[in-house]
Amino acid sequence: MKTSVLAFGLVAATALTSPAHADKLDDIIASGTLRCAVVLDFPPMGSRDENNEPIGFDVDYCNDLAKALGVTAEIVETPFPERIPALMSGRVDVGVASTSDTLERAKTVGMTVPYFAFEMAVTANEKSGIKSFEDMKGKVVGATAGTYEAIALENQVKAWGEGEFRPYQTQADVFLALSQGQLDATVSTSTVAQSNVKGGKFPGISVVDKAPFDIDYVALFTNREEYGFLDYLNLFVNQQVRTGRYAELYEKWVGGEAPSLAVNGVYR
Amino acid sequence: MFNYTFHWNQALRALPQMLDGAVVTLQVAVLSMVIGVACAIALTVFRLSGSRILGGIAATWVEVARNTPALFQIYMAHFGLGNFGIHLSPYTALLVGIAFNNAGYLAENFRGALKAIPDTQARAGRSLGMTSLQAFRLIVLPQMLRVAFLPATNQMVWAILMTSLGVTVGMNTDLAGITQELNARSFRTFEFFALAAVIYYLIAKAVTLAARAFAWRMFRY
Repeated sequence: MKTSVLAFGLVAATALTSPAHADKLDDIIASGTLRCAVVLDFPPMGSRDENNEPIGFDVDYCNDLAKALGVTAEIVETPFPERIPALMSGRVDVGVASTSDTLERAKTVGMTVPYFAFEMAVTANEKSGIKSFEDMKGKVVGATAGTYEAIALENQVKAWGEGEFRPYQTQADVFLALSQGQLDATVSTSTVAQSNVKGGKFPGISVVDKAPFDIDYVALFTNREEYGFLDYLNLFVNQQVRTGRYAELYEKWVGGEAPSLAVNGVYR
Repeated sequence: MFNYTFHWNQALRALPQMLDGAVVTLQVAVLSMVIGVACAIALTVFRLSGSRILGGIAATWVEVARNTPALFQIYMAHFGLGNFGIHLSPYTALLVGIAFNNAGYLAENFRGALKAIPDTQARAGRSLGMTSLQAFRLIVLPQMLRVAFLPATNQMVWAILMTSLGVTVGMNTDLAGITQELNARSFRTFEFFALAAVIYYLIAKAVTLAARAFAWRMFRY
C-alpha cells in the first residue's frame, strides 16, 4: 500500500516538474496566449485605427500565427528600439515587427526565413528640390533610428562625405521633421512612404525616387536557442506563402503583387 | 526568464566611440550651464527690478521650466519651433532645452541664496558711495553665487543626465545617441546600456567631486 502511495507521489511529482523541461513552443500552447511584439508606428505593417485598435499586416500575421497555434493573440506595442529588451525580459514570445535579418542581430536573436520584403523609396520635402537619390548628397537627411534603411543611409552620407544624417526615434517623428523642412529627404520602405504621403497628415512631401539599397528582408524573431519554436515559425512562414495567405495579406495592406521572399541561388 | 548571454567583448570594443560621445555629452552640459547661469542671473535681476513685465517674464519662465518635463522642453525646441519654420539642429535644440530648464531651476536657487544675504550688506555698500548697481554687482552677487554654488552642482549633474533626452530629437553624437545606435545595429542592448550607465555615473561623480574641491578652495575661511 505504502509503495503504491510512494509510486503515485513519484508519478505526480514527475508530471508536475515536467513543464520545466518544456520549451517556448510548449509554454505558449500551455499558456493559451501568444504575445507578439508589433511596431504600431509603421503603417501599413502596424498602426492604430480610429478606435485605437491595432491594425496592419504584422497584426494580422500575429493573429494568423496564434490561430495556427490554437491560442489567443496578444499584440504588445513595441517601438523599434525596444524590440529586443521586450523579448529578453520575457514580455513577448515572438517579434512580428518588420525586423531586418542582419547577421549582426542574428548573434543576439534567432531569425526565421523572411516573411516580408521591402523596397526603399526616397521621400523629399517639395521645397528641397530633391528629385532623385543622388540629389540627397550634401543635404540634411534622416530615418528611423536603428532601421535597415537608417543604417544604409547613414553609411551613404559618410561615403558622400557631406550632408548630415539624423536618426529619429519614431517613423512619425521622421515624417514630421520632413514635413516641417527640418529634413530635406528621408529613405524609408516604399510602403511607409506611400502610406504617409497619401495619409495627408504630413503636407508638402512626395515620393521622388527609389533608393538603390538592397531589398530589405524582414524576419520573425525569438530567442536564439528556441529551435523548436523557430522550426515552427519557419514552417508557418512557408505555409503562409503556400496557402496564398501572404499574397492575400499583401493585397489587403499594400496592394499589388507580393514580392518574392526567395533569393535566387540560395538554399534557404 | 531573463534569457541573455552577455557579450562584453563586443561592447568594450565600442568603448572609444562611446567615450567620444561622452565628450559631446559633457560639452552640451557645460555650455547649457554657462547659458543657464547667465539667464538665471538675468531672471533674478528681472524679479528684483520691480517692473511688472520683466517680473512676469521671469515668473513665467520659472513656472514653465520647473513644472513641465525636460523631455517636452527639448522636444518643443525642435519640433515645436519647427512648426513655425524655426529650425534648430538636434544639437542646438538639446542645448536650448536644457539651458531653459537650467535657468528656471537656477533662478529659484539664486532667489533663495539672495534671501540669505541681509539687506544691510547692500546698504553698507551704498553708504560707502557705491551706486545700487555697483552694490549689487560687487557685494550681493558674489555672496549670492557663493551660497548658490553647491546646490547648483546638482543642476549640473541633472544637465548631464538630461542630455540623454537628445535621442528624441535626432541627436546621434552624444553618449546616449551613440549607445542607441550601437544597440540598434547589434541588438546587444544590455551591454551597451550598462556601459553607458557606468560612463554617465563616472562623469556625474567626477563633476560633483570637482565642484566640491573648487568650493573648498574658493569659499573657505
